[in-house]
Amino acid sequence: MTQEIQKEKVQPRRDFLKYLLSSVTAGFGLIVFYPVFSFMKPPKQREVEVTSLKIGNVDDIEIGDSKIIRFGNKPVIVIRNGKEDFSALSATCTHLDCTVQYKKDESVIWCACHNGKYDLTGRNISGPPPRPLEKFKADVKNNEIIISKIV
Amino acid sequence: MKKIFTNLYNWVDERVDLSDIVKFMSKKYVPVHSHSIWYYFGGVSLFFFIIQVVTGILLLFYYKGSADLAYESIHFIMSKVEFGWLIRSIHAWSANLFVLAAFIHMFSVYFEKAYRKPREMTWITGMLMFFLALGFGFSGYLLPWNELAFFATKVGTDIAGVLPIIGEPIKIFLRGGEDVTGATLSRFFGFHVALFPGIFTVLLFIHLLLVQRQGMSEPLNEKVKKTMPFFPNFVLRDLLLWLVVLNLLAILAVFFPAELGIKADPLAPAPAGIKPEWYFLFMFQTLKYIPGYVLFIEGEILGIFLFGLAGILWVLVPFWDKKSEQGRQNKLVNYLGIFAVMFIIVMTIVGWLL
Amino acid sequence: MKNILSKYIFVIFCLIFSQITNAKTDECFNCHSGLDDSPSKLFKNDIHQKVGLSCSSCHGGDNTSDDMEISMDKKNGFLGIPSQNKISEICAKCHSDIENMKKYRTDISTGQLEELKKSVHGAIAVDGKGMILQCTTCHNAHGIKKVTDSGSLVYPTNIPNTCNKCHGDINYMRKYNPGLSVDQLAKYRESKHGKLNLKGNRKVAQCASCHGSHAVFTSKDVRSKVYPLNIPETCSTCHSDKEYMKESNIPTDQFEKYKKSVHGVALFEKKDISAPVCNSCHGNHAATPPGISSISKICGTCHALNAELFGNSPHKKVFDENNYPECETCHGNHLILVARDQLLGVNEGAVCAKCHTEEKNPKGFKAAVKMRALIDSLVVLDSISRRQIFIAEQKGMEVEEAKFKLRDVHQAELEARTVVHAFDAEKFSEIINKGVNASNEVISEANSQVDEYYFRRYGLVVAVLIISLLALLLYFQIKRIEAKQNL
Repeated sequence: MTQEIQKEKVQPRRDFLKYLLSSVTAGFGLIVFYPVFSFMKPPKQREVEVTSLKIGNVDDIEIGDSKIIRFGNKPVIVIRNGKEDFSALSATCTHLDCTVQYKKDESVIWCACHNGKYDLTGRNISGPPPRPLEKFKADVKNNEIIISKIV
Repeated sequence: MKKIFTNLYNWVDERVDLSDIVKFMSKKYVPVHSHSIWYYFGGVSLFFFIIQVVTGILLLFYYKGSADLAYESIHFIMSKVEFGWLIRSIHAWSANLFVLAAFIHMFSVYFEKAYRKPREMTWITGMLMFFLALGFGFSGYLLPWNELAFFATKVGTDIAGVLPIIGEPIKIFLRGGEDVTGATLSRFFGFHVALFPGIFTVLLFIHLLLVQRQGMSEPLNEKVKKTMPFFPNFVLRDLLLWLVVLNLLAILAVFFPAELGIKADPLAPAPAGIKPEWYFLFMFQTLKYIPGYVLFIEGEILGIFLFGLAGILWVLVPFWDKKSEQGRQNKLVNYLGIFAVMFIIVMTIVGWLL
Repeated sequence: MKNILSKYIFVIFCLIFSQITNAKTDECFNCHSGLDDSPSKLFKNDIHQKVGLSCSSCHGGDNTSDDMEISMDKKNGFLGIPSQNKISEICAKCHSDIENMKKYRTDISTGQLEELKKSVHGAIAVDGKGMILQCTTCHNAHGIKKVTDSGSLVYPTNIPNTCNKCHGDINYMRKYNPGLSVDQLAKYRESKHGKLNLKGNRKVAQCASCHGSHAVFTSKDVRSKVYPLNIPETCSTCHSDKEYMKESNIPTDQFEKYKKSVHGVALFEKKDISAPVCNSCHGNHAATPPGISSISKICGTCHALNAELFGNSPHKKVFDENNYPECETCHGNHLILVARDQLLGVNEGAVCAKCHTEEKNPKGFKAAVKMRALIDSLVVLDSISRRQIFIAEQKGMEVEEAKFKLRDVHQAELEARTVVHAFDAEKFSEIINKGVNASNEVISEANSQVDEYYFRRYGLVVAVLIISLLALLLYFQIKRIEAKQNL
């Protein structure tokens, strides 16, 4: 009599343990595989490559025009001087860190904040900038513009 | 669900005869005694290795093994890839704990004299895996291409270079040139993800096969009366421990994520306080204490020579320890072991504090 | 022939004469004045003659003998006409000797030669024979007067012409400094200083007042009184001296004000020699206060964009009509403080409401209030952005993305502070909006990093719970299995 009662008690407990074990194992699988699959999912942002960067086709920039690109964490201004003649300079004004722009009509690089001007080699020619702009290398390979750090 | 499994099992069993293995496993017993706890460290080491393989493969999805991109790619993993920080931190922590577990496993086997006949081959494969683990650590340390790694590698390969005659060629082989450069990184990357794992897997296979074949070694001085079945009792206990270890890894990874430091600059002066990874610290520290010249031998060469000799003696212990083989106590082995443990602990602490 | 004969007769006459007169008389001078040559004529009025020096003091020889053979014998130390550096050395024999100069109870200093030697004029001349200048170049050789004597070449009103002898000569200056202009005197005569100087005013500044007398350096030399760092001090030696400036009606507090100004701080504290000093606005040789209409042009030499924006703004016309000095109306002159955002608007410390009162000019008043509110809101957003980045960074999270965007906020602030000079509320708010958008992006980026931080912590809690629970269940399972085995 007593044994029968015990058996009845044991039976549901074991089922409960089994049920719990399998559901927690499923949860465990979830917490292991969720990070793993998230990791394998390609990240949204473009990868950061800092030493050199392809910025697109030669024809993306017209002759005598410019484009500001992101190079690592810093903006770089790329100016197309001729058919395959590009120059690239840091676009951070040496005065107070504003972002400079190319002024076509004057053929200068110009900072809107305080009218600082640089010539196309990055030399500070007028206004408050204390130093020239840092230079970058701009090459054309297979019709693609490649900007790289000058080491 | 259960039916599918049974069918699948039967399908395989029909072709390769699984029942033998199951029979073997269920007949296998693990001795139970007061030192049983040490049996688990082999399994824990194995678990860390599995974790390393899994997280290592995941990191390979994004890592780029070149001097220009290595640092940036890890930065990318840490900042842009979802759970990248977690995977890398687990890889880094698991690497350290792997070496620690391997240390414990090795010393427990040593003190239990479990290497004695007929388990010499198990011991040797284990020792080779231990050296490979150190190699994994040394090569992996350079891969982020940060300042600390760069200089640690420089110093580490320099030490190899002081050996007479063979030192210089070894140094150049390791560095892939005269200096630590991008070529060294490519090389170390190759060692870390292809060469070492390949060799390690073969050794591991042999090691595990031998353990299964010969069973667990029983201690010399204790008569074992109790046993437990390898499956499921011991395996489940192993799993339980693995879960605890996984918990520990997760906590360490979240609270102490792996750092990246600043990118290596070959032209920059060496930063203050460069230290090798902790498991090399005792050797590094000892070399510092050996005087410049001992008799006619250069101190550093003597140090490396002594470590080499000690290592060889250690690996070959099953062959010169005849007493244990005959089932008698060998006090010399115990004293040597205690000296080695004390030496490593003291030198590591000294190296850490200084 | 006749001439030589007469000279001989004269000499003989002299010899006889000297025999008669006292032996102590200066035989050199006696004889040479008889010859009526220019040195002796000039020496007659020379300060050195008056204090008892003789020709032989500089030229050597024996001035007690009337016999030329003796007096002008090299054995007696006769030097003849000294040349080049020898000239200055002879002057210095006395003038650099403090003990000697005391005898004459004079207050003139010693050490002029030392000063000259290290000065720009002490460099070696193009002929390579000696210094560019010798004492006599400015002071003359004979006929030297006291500096307080209006006949002296170095008397304040004469100095400009004395210096101009060389500095106005293009052929001469080309040899030493072809880049230096030679119109300083002409400019000087146009200045307040130069005009008063011409009228005989000794107190106004002339060349030596600013450039120094013996120790003259180029303006690029840090030792120069006209090196940018030293100019304010140099001008203030007179202009801050109330006593000295008594006769003129101009204030004497410019230097004190300048020191506190943004320009003065840049110069004196940051040692920024590109900061404007007195002459940057007032001119140097042609020093004159700038006229009201030209202020924006003068400030605009450096603050070009602000000047341009102002020139095209509605304020330009109104300011001209009312004779308001352009930049100065809001920024002041010598005491120009850093232009803070507080300058804008109608509150305390702001300048707009000076004209744009609520009653008389409600439109301008409202625009001022609005623009101030805009820049203030951007500044607040900027500081919130920084704080959020800081919080995320403190938690060890990746904030480079946010920091990169923060540059745009910073840029918008700076641009707004420039474009405010166009006094165009629409243009202004356009730029402010750019900054507001950027800073919103920064804040959300930083916040998402903070969220990520908590996600990791909570994620860990969940993971640890599940793993621990699984371990616990496994433990029970083992116990169960073993209990069954033991049965």
